[in-house]
Amino acid sequence: MHTTGHTPGRSAADTTGGAAIELVGLEKTFRTRDGDVLAVRGIDLTVDAGEVVAVLGPNGAGKTTTLDMVLGLTEPTGGTARVFGQRPREAVTAGRVAAVLQTGGLLRDLTVAETVRLVASTYAAPSPVDEVLERAGIAHLGARLVSKCSGGEQQRLRFALALLPDPDLLVLDEPTAGMDVTARREFWDAMHAEAAAGRTVVFATHYLSEADTFADRIVVIGAGRVLADGTTAEIRSRVAGRAVSVDAPADPAARERLVAVARSLPGVAAAEVTGGRLHVTGTDSDAVARALLVDHGAHGLEVVAGSLDDAFATLTRPETRPENRTTSDETEQTR
Amino acid sequence: MNTTYLGLELKRFARDRVTLFFVAILPAFFYLIFGVAQDFGSESAGNGNVALYIMVSMAAYGAVTATTGIGGAAAVERMQGWGRQLGLTPLRDSGYVAVKATLAVLVALIPVSVIAVLGILTGAAGTAAAWGLSLLGVLAGAWVFALFGLVVGLAFRTEGAVNAIGGIVVVLGFLGNIFIPLSGTLLDIARFTPLYGYVSLVRYPITEGALPDSSGGTAAVDPLWLPLLNLGAWALILGLLATWLVRRGRGRQ
Repeated sequence: MHTTGHTPGRSAADTTGGAAIELVGLEKTFRTRDGDVLAVRGIDLTVDAGEVVAVLGPNGAGKTTTLDMVLGLTEPTGGTARVFGQRPREAVTAGRVAAVLQTGGLLRDLTVAETVRLVASTYAAPSPVDEVLERAGIAHLGARLVSKCSGGEQQRLRFALALLPDPDLLVLDEPTAGMDVTARREFWDAMHAEAAAGRTVVFATHYLSEADTFADRIVVIGAGRVLADGTTAEIRSRVAGRAVSVDAPADPAARERLVAVARSLPGVAAAEVTGGRLHVTGTDSDAVARALLVDHGAHGLEVVAGSLDDAFATLTRPETRPENRTTSDETEQTR
Repeated sequence: MNTTYLGLELKRFARDRVTLFFVAILPAFFYLIFGVAQDFGSESAGNGNVALYIMVSMAAYGAVTATTGIGGAAAVERMQGWGRQLGLTPLRDSGYVAVKATLAVLVALIPVSVIAVLGILTGAAGTAAAWGLSLLGVLAGAWVFALFGLVVGLAFRTEGAVNAIGGIVVVLGFLGNIFIPLSGTLLDIARFTPLYGYVSLVRYPITEGALPDSSGGTAAVDPLWLPLLNLGAWALILGLLATWLVRRGRGRQ
């Protein structure tokens, strides 16, 4: 799937080296005792400098594995990953990309300021420790031990660490997991400031609202593949469209027949009977409504505008996802 | 060498009072029991007396306790995601290893100095070469066992395994001929265990390879190549295992 950029009007921090991220045919297979697990099955994706992109997908979709390859933490087993035209590890060493990882990753017996000093010492020209603490909103926590910090405070410390190299690309893997509502809002406020300064931001999430409100563009990943890619509005309209529902016939044979007919209609993603109603979701609700009403004599027609939640559910539900769902779920378990 | 990182590591170690106690006090306590409290301490053991022989043995045990602890703690750190965090920085694996290896040697200095001071105060005696080469050997060879701690931690991937390392070291200490003089089949087996080569080497300046038996005689004499080969082989094995396990663990954990 080729993707075009939706670069917003802001100026990119630095466009030398081309796209911020360029993934071509990216694949990752993990060897486990139970056989090979295909975590990423061929992802093509280009993120332009200055974009704010949400990577959306259920657990086990391959989000973290994909981001790990962007960051050079894991080598792909197929395809290539380039960050500003460089190999990921080179981009990390040059301080052009930094990341906030999902969990763990901190030493509990250091203080907040010591942690920042330690990571700063690995860079040739880091931003001042006080400055990144300030920007991450934890300047008042400098002397506190990491073990005494809340989940949200630790996450902001990771954010402070990511700001040290003054990176052009920020990668965030489920950055607000475990935060309460207030902490989450404060985190995104801080992130807005970074994005407004022209940084490219790529974040993985399974909170649709975060993707919807913060990203210019959403990439939906499921079972190791890109399932959809576009603006939030595009994703919503293209995939969910509208949901059509009619009364399901009481006679089981007739009901089965109607379900089969609905599934065979063009653009239909799913058709199933719940609570005596047949629910059909697809891209062309008008055609579905017409066919059911006119050609098949259905009753009690209702058409509802789909939400982004519906779109997401439609895209990633098991029967529309590619094979091998269980093994990719296990991938998430074994990490 | 990243001295900021090394300094912060020393600070972390000093904050861990329990570990500090076991590293600094326990081997010294063993020396007082096995060495000072015995009446054969002043008997000759080659280029020094028996007290010096036992002092060097306990210093070696203390150094191994210290370095395996550092290695094991490094493994726990990596398992808890610190390896991934460092993977996002320009710090290379070699830089990380240099910091940890230096830390291990500095921490090993603690029990070795405590025991050496106790030795001087309690009648350990020997030639200058026996003192100097033995204590230098204790520090120079101790880093190998940081690898041991790292490998155990990375292989079993639990904090429990790392906590068990102290016990494993005691068992390997007995098998390595550190605490009680072995003879016969047990000694034949001992020659293949990881602590045997190390402790035999640090005793070599005193004993020149002679192995005491439990009645004060000589059980056997090891040529110098035997402990060298033992330590060299274990360093290689542990080094390869550690490299492989670190690579395996770099991805998600």
